[in-house]
Amino acid sequence: MRLSLLLLLFVCAVSLAAQKTVTGTVTDASGETLIGASVLAKGTGSGTVTDLDGKYSLSVPDGVKFLVFTYTGFASQDVPIGNRSVVDVTLLESASQLSEVVVVGYGSQIRSTLTGNIAQIDGEAIENLPVASVEQAMQGRSAGVFVQSVSGKPGGRVNIRVRGSSSISAGNDPLYVVDGVPITSGTFSSPGSGSLNFMADINPNDVASIEILKDASAAAIYGSRAANGVILITTKKGKSGKAKVNVNLSAGSSVASNRREFLNAEEFVSFFRQTAEGAGRYDWANQINDWGLSDDEYTLENITAEYVGFVEGRLDRYSGPSEWRNGETDTDWQDLAFQTGESRNADMSLAGGSDAIQYYTSFGYSGQEGILAGNAFERMTARLNLDAKTTERLNFGMRMSFGRTTNDRVTDDNQFSTPLQLIALAPITPPRDEDGVLLDRPTTTYYNGLIDVEEAARQTVSYRTLTNVFGQYEIAGGLALRAEAGVDVANLKQNRFQGRRTITGASTNGFSESRWSNILNYTTKALLLYDKEVGAGHNFNFVGGLEYQRSSSENVEVEGTEFPIDALQRIASAAEITFGTSDFTEFTFLSYFGRVNYNFQSKYLFSASARLDGSSRFGANNRYGFFPSVAAGWVISQEDFLADNSTVSYLKARASYGLTGNASIANFGSLGLYSAPAYGGVSALSPSQIPNPDLTWEQTAQFDVGLDFGFLNNRFSGELDFYVKNTTDLLLDVPVPGSSGFRTQLQNIGEMRNTGIEFLLNANVLTGAFKWETSFNFALNKNEVTKLAEGQQLIDNNGSRSMNVVQVGQPLGAFLGYEFAGVDRENGDALFFVNETNEAGSIINPDATTNNVSEANFIILGQSIPDKLIGFTNDFSYRGLSLNVFFQGSFGNKIANAAGGFMSCGACWFDNQTRDQLDAWTPDNRDTDIPEARFYWENGTNGRSSRYLSDGNFVRLKTATLAYELPSSLTSKAGLSRLRVYVTGQNLLTFTNYEGWDPELASDSYSDGAAINTNIYSSVDFYTAPQARTIIVGVNVGL
Amino acid sequence: MTSFKSILFLLLAVVLAGCAKNLELQPAQSISEGLALSSDGNVKTVLVGAYDGISNGDLYGGNTMRDADLLGGNGEVRWVGTFNGPRQIFNKQIEAGNGDAQERWLESYEAINIANNVLSALDVVDADDRDRVEGEALFLRGLLYFDLVRFYGLPYEASGGNSQPGVPLVLEPTRSISAETNVSRSSVEDGYAQVLSDLERAAILLPSDNGFFATSLSAKAILARVYLQMGRYADARDNANDVIASGEFSLADTYAEAFMNEANSSEDIFAIQVSNQDGINNLNLFYSIPEFGGRDGDIEILDAHLDRYEEGDARKELFFERAGSTLSGKFNNQFANVTVVRLAEMHLIRAEANERLGTEVGLAPAAEISALRMRSGLDAVDDVSLEDIIEERYRELAFEGFFIHDIKRLQRDAGNFAYNAPELVFPIPSREIVANPNLDQNPGY
Repeated sequence: MRLSLLLLLFVCAVSLAAQKTVTGTVTDASGETLIGASVLAKGTGSGTVTDLDGKYSLSVPDGVKFLVFTYTGFASQDVPIGNRSVVDVTLLESASQLSEVVVVGYGSQIRSTLTGNIAQIDGEAIENLPVASVEQAMQGRSAGVFVQSVSGKPGGRVNIRVRGSSSISAGNDPLYVVDGVPITSGTFSSPGSGSLNFMADINPNDVASIEILKDASAAAIYGSRAANGVILITTKKGKSGKAKVNVNLSAGSSVASNRREFLNAEEFVSFFRQTAEGAGRYDWANQINDWGLSDDEYTLENITAEYVGFVEGRLDRYSGPSEWRNGETDTDWQDLAFQTGESRNADMSLAGGSDAIQYYTSFGYSGQEGILAGNAFERMTARLNLDAKTTERLNFGMRMSFGRTTNDRVTDDNQFSTPLQLIALAPITPPRDEDGVLLDRPTTTYYNGLIDVEEAARQTVSYRTLTNVFGQYEIAGGLALRAEAGVDVANLKQNRFQGRRTITGASTNGFSESRWSNILNYTTKALLLYDKEVGAGHNFNFVGGLEYQRSSSENVEVEGTEFPIDALQRIASAAEITFGTSDFTEFTFLSYFGRVNYNFQSKYLFSASARLDGSSRFGANNRYGFFPSVAAGWVISQEDFLADNSTVSYLKARASYGLTGNASIANFGSLGLYSAPAYGGVSALSPSQIPNPDLTWEQTAQFDVGLDFGFLNNRFSGELDFYVKNTTDLLLDVPVPGSSGFRTQLQNIGEMRNTGIEFLLNANVLTGAFKWETSFNFALNKNEVTKLAEGQQLIDNNGSRSMNVVQVGQPLGAFLGYEFAGVDRENGDALFFVNETNEAGSIINPDATTNNVSEANFIILGQSIPDKLIGFTNDFSYRGLSLNVFFQGSFGNKIANAAGGFMSCGACWFDNQTRDQLDAWTPDNRDTDIPEARFYWENGTNGRSSRYLSDGNFVRLKTATLAYELPSSLTSKAGLSRLRVYVTGQNLLTFTNYEGWDPELASDSYSDGAAINTNIYSSVDFYTAPQARTIIVGVNVGL
Repeated sequence: MTSFKSILFLLLAVVLAGCAKNLELQPAQSISEGLALSSDGNVKTVLVGAYDGISNGDLYGGNTMRDADLLGGNGEVRWVGTFNGPRQIFNKQIEAGNGDAQERWLESYEAINIANNVLSALDVVDADDRDRVEGEALFLRGLLYFDLVRFYGLPYEASGGNSQPGVPLVLEPTRSISAETNVSRSSVEDGYAQVLSDLERAAILLPSDNGFFATSLSAKAILARVYLQMGRYADARDNANDVIASGEFSLADTYAEAFMNEANSSEDIFAIQVSNQDGINNLNLFYSIPEFGGRDGDIEILDAHLDRYEEGDARKELFFERAGSTLSGKFNNQFANVTVVRLAEMHLIRAEANERLGTEVGLAPAAEISALRMRSGLDAVDDVSLEDIIEERYRELAFEGFFIHDIKRLQRDAGNFAYNAPELVFPIPSREIVANPNLDQNPGY
C-alpha cells in the first residue's frame, strides 16, 4: 500500500504538461442542472464530474480539441472547445448506458472505464411496483441475476443467484451492501412459518440505483464474501436547489395468478367408489386378506364390499351434518384458501438543499394483503440522507433509515394449518356446522386450517435501523482519507397465539409464544483514496483501506399454555409457562483491501485489487484469506481506425480474473462441540459437532471476457460476456457413517463449475414524438458439480417425497428418482423403467419396465434450477402517455409436485384429488397414463418419480404500466410541478405448461432451514402459494 | 491543520485496526469436547445426555414401539395417518430411503456414541459412582443394540447359527472420521452376545435404586426380554423372577392406572421421562387424538384385535370410539412418561418360561396369569396353556411394541409374510449404504 503511494508520487513528479482550465455548467433540456455528469478531455484520460450545481472545472492539456460530456440516461456529446474557457452544455436524454456513473466497491466509476462486469438497475425502473422487497423488483432486469420468490407469500424468502449457484452447503445469496454498509441480509427463519426476508425492510422507492458486481474484477474487493456476487444498493440523495416534494399514492388488489382444478362433490363420491373397487381387484388378484375374511367369505365381491363399506363409512364421517348421497354439500376449499388482497401504498419524499448541505427525506407506507387467507404485509419507513460540505476539503454525511415491517403470517407449506392445504379436504365436507362453527376433525379429513385463520394469530414485526455516517477529508490534490461507521439494527418481535380449537392449542387450552430477536451489525472502515491524472493521459485511481465488522444475534423466547379464554393471548394470562430460552451467537470480520485502476487516455484500462480477510468463522489453521484480482480493457473505438466509423460508436473488450470467497458458513463450524439438552428435568451434555480446525472459506476463481458495444451513435448498445467460475474447497456436510454417532462432518472438499454467457441489448428503436426504447437480456448458466468427498458421487438426503440431490456431473439440486413408464394396460399397475446400468454406467435395456418400484433404479430426471433466463422490457411513449411492458422468462428446469402422492394418487387416501385422476385406469379405460385408483395402496404414488415432475419453463408478463403525465402547462396552473396517473399490473399473463399453480416457486417447507436445503430444494411445489396477480392504480404528484 | 486532521483520521484507522483479537470468539450455547469429558460432574452430565438421546421420538419416545406393532399388527391395526414412512412400514413396502428407518438408525448410534464417550472417561468419575455410571452407559448401549439388531437383522434363530448380518458394533467413542469409521455389520449372533455382555455387566454394576435412571432391575428386566427373544427360557425366567422378587415394583391397582402417568407408576421398571418441559411421547402422537395432543388417531384398532378380549375386560374398556373408529386409550396424555418395560411383562415372561420349562419358579403360570386377569376385572383361571399365555401377552401388552418381535420369536406369520420374510426387516438406510462402503444391504432392498 505504502509502496504504491510512493510510486504514484514519483509518477506525479515527473509528469509535466501544458494545460488550460475550462469551466462550465451542464444542464438537461429543461434547464435543470445535472449533478455528477462526467466531463472528459477527449483523447486523454483527464476528466472530472460536475458538482452539486452542475458546474465543472477541468484542466485540459493543450492539443485537446473536444470535451466529452456524459451522464446517466443522456446521450453523450462531443463539444469543441475552440478558444473558450467556459463551455456550457445541454445534454439530451438517451437510453445509452455507456456513459453513466456506476457505483463500485468503495467508490464509483464511469462505465466506459470499467474493466469488470457490473449490472446496473436504475431506481426509477423499480419505483412503485407492487412487490414487497427490492430484490423482487430486480427480477429479470439484468442478465445473469436469477431472482426467485419461493412463494406468493409477501415478505417471504427471495432466492438470488448471481451467475448461478456456487455453493452446496454454504450460503448462495450475494452480499448486500447498502450505502457502503454490509447489512444483515438473507432470511430470518421462524419455526413453522417459513422464512422472513430481511430486505423487505428497505423501501424500494428510496433506492437510487442497484449495482450488481458479477465478475471477479468487480467483486473481489469484497474478498471472502464476494463469491456469490455483491449487490450494492445506493439510496437517493438530495440536490441543491429548490426543495422538491414528491407524493405517490396507489391502491389496488391481488388475486392468485392461477388456480388448480380439484374434484367436486359428485366426482369425489363416484371416484371413491372407483378407488374402493380398484383396491378390491388388487387384493383379489394378489390374494391379500387384510379384512380378515374367512376362506368361504373370501371373494372379490366381499373384498370390494369391505372397501366400499370402509369408504362410505368415511364419507358419512366427512360429510358431517350434511348428506353426501344427495350432493347436499359441494365445498370449493381452494376458494376458501385464497382471498382477494387489498393493497395501499403512500410515499412522500422531500429533497433539496444548498451548496453546503443537501437532504433527502422520505416517508413510505406499503400495506399489502396476501392472496392467502390471513396473510398480510405492511411496511412503514422513514429516511433522512444528508450530505454536507464544511470546508473545501471536508465532506461528511449520513444515511439513516428506520422501518417497521409487520407480517401477518401463515404457517409454512408443510403444516395442516397452512391455507393451501385446505384443498386436501373433501368437497362433501361443509366448512361450518349449522351454527356457523368451523368443523374440525373427525368431520374434516385433516385439521381445518380455517380455524387457524380465524382463531390463531401469527405476527412478526421487524424494527430496522440502518445508519451510516461518513466523513472525507482531502489531504492534497486527488488524495483523500475517508472514514465510515455503519450500524444495522434489526429487532424482531414474533408473537404467536393459537386458540383452544387450533391444532397447536387444542390439547392445552391455547398456546402462546413470544420471541424477541436482536441482530446488531456494525461496520467501521477507513479508506485512503487517490484519483489523479498524472500527465499525458495516465490516469490513476487508488483506494485502500481496512474494515471491521461485528455481527451478533440474540434471541429470547417464552411459551405458555392453559389460557382462560381465547381473548387473552399474552403469556401473562398463561397458567403454565412451558418453554423459555435465550441464546446468542456472533461473528467478526477484519479486512484489509486495496484497488488500483490505471488507464491511458481512457483507451487502455487496467485494474488490480486485493483483499485480506480474517474471520472468526474460519478454523484456527486458516484464519486469514487472500483474494486478488486483475483485469484489463481495451476501448477499441478510441483507436484511430474506428474513431470516425459511423456504424461502430463504441467498442470495448475486457477480461478479468480473480479469486473470491464464500464465508457464509456457520459461526462456529470449525469447533468440536457439546451442546446442552435436558432429560427429565436434569441438565445434560451431548456431542453436537465433530471438529475441523482446517475449516475455511469456499474459493471461487472466476474468468470473464466481455465485449461492450454501441452502434449507430449508440442507438443500439449492449454487452456480451462469457465467464467460467470454478469453485473449490466447497464446504460439504460430508455424510459420515451414522454408526459413528454423527451424521455429517463439515469439510472443505467439493468442487463446482459455472459456465455462462450473458447478453444485453439496449435499443432506441424509435425516437421522435413516438418513442420506443427496449432492453433485452439473456443469460445461460451451466452449473455442474464436479467433485464431492473422496469416493462420493451423490448427496441424497431425501425421503420418499422429494428428490433433489447433489450428484457429480449434474447441476446442483438435480432431480434423481424413478422414471415413470405409464400404466400396464392389463392390470392398471403403475410401471417404471428399470434403468439398470452396466459397469460403465449406461442403461442396459432402456425399454425394460417393472410394476415393482423396488426393482427400478434411480436416474437423473431433470434439473431444478433454470439454466436460461430472459428479460425483455419495452418503453413506449407518446407525449405524456407512456407504456412499459416487461416480460421475464425462465427455462430449462422441471418442477416436482411433492404433494403429488397425496393429491394425485388415485384417491389412495381421502385427500381431494386433482381432476386428471378421473382418467385413471379401469378395466373399461385401459388407454391412459394414470394408474388404477386403488384405495390405500401405493400404485405409482412414490414421490420420487417422474410421474410428479413437469416442465417448469415459463414466460411471464411480469409488469405492465400505463401512465399519463399531464403537460406541465396544465399542472403548473394547479401549482404542481408534476402530475402523473398510472395503472400497473404485476404477473398479468403467464405462458407455461406447468401443471400446478405457478412455476415460480420453491416450497418454503423444503427450502428453509439448513443452507443446503435452500440451495438444492428449488422447484419443489408442496401446496406452495402461487404468485399474486396485482393491479394497482396510482398517482404521482410533484410539488 | 491539514496534518492534524490527517493524524486524526489515521488514529481512527489505527483504532479500527486494533480489533484483530476479536477474531477469536467462543460459542455461547456449546462447550468443547475436552471440557465435556474433563471432570466427574461433566461426565455424569454427558451420561444424562445419553438418556436424552434414547428419549428421542424415533427411539423410546415411542417409534421403536410403534413400528413393532405396525409391522406385526396385520388385521389388528390399521395405519390411517398421512405420513408415508409408517404407512410403508405397515404395508411392508418399506423403501431403503424410509425416513423412519433412517432416523431409528442414526439416533440409536448417536446415543451409543454418547454412552461410549462416558465409558471412555470413567477414570475421571468419582470412584464411589464409577460403577453406577459405567452400568448406566452399558445398560443404554445394550438396550439400543438389542433393538437395532431386532429391527435391522433377520430374526434370531433359537436353533443356532445366526450368522446372518446384524448391525455394526461400535464400542469406542468417535473422535474423528477416518477409514476406521466404516464399520461392517457384525452377525446377529455377535450382536446378541454384545447385548448380553453389556446388560449382564450393567446388572452387576448398577444399584437397585437410582431414581428414574437405570437400575440393576432395569437391566435384568431387559435381559429377561432378550433371553425370551433368544428362546433361552430359563435365563428369561430367572431374570424376570429377580425383578418380581425384588419387591421394588407392584402391579398398578387398575390396568388404566399403569398408563398415562406423568411420574413412573408402581409398575414401571424403566420409562422415558416426559413433561411439558422436555421429552416427547410419540405413542400419544400417533395413537391419540388432538384433544389429548395426538395427531388424528393415526392408528386405528380393528375388530380382529378387539375380538381377543372377553367381555368385562378392563383392557377392552380402555379402547374408545371416535367417528366410527376404535382407538387405543392407553396414550391419551401427551406429557405422560413412555414406558419401556413394566412389571406385567415380567409376569408374562416368567409365566411363559415356567410353562415351557414345566417349572414354577416364583409362581405357577396359572396363578401368574390370574393375577393379571383379576387386575383387569376378570376371573382367575385354574389352568393355562402356552397359547393362553401368549394370548394374554397380546391383550396385556398391546401397542407397547411387542407384535412383530413375538411373531418372529414364535415363528408365526404377519399377514402374508412368514416370520423371517425380508419385508419384515428394516432396510439399512440408503444414506448409510452411501456413507459406509463396508455395509451390505438387507435382502429385498
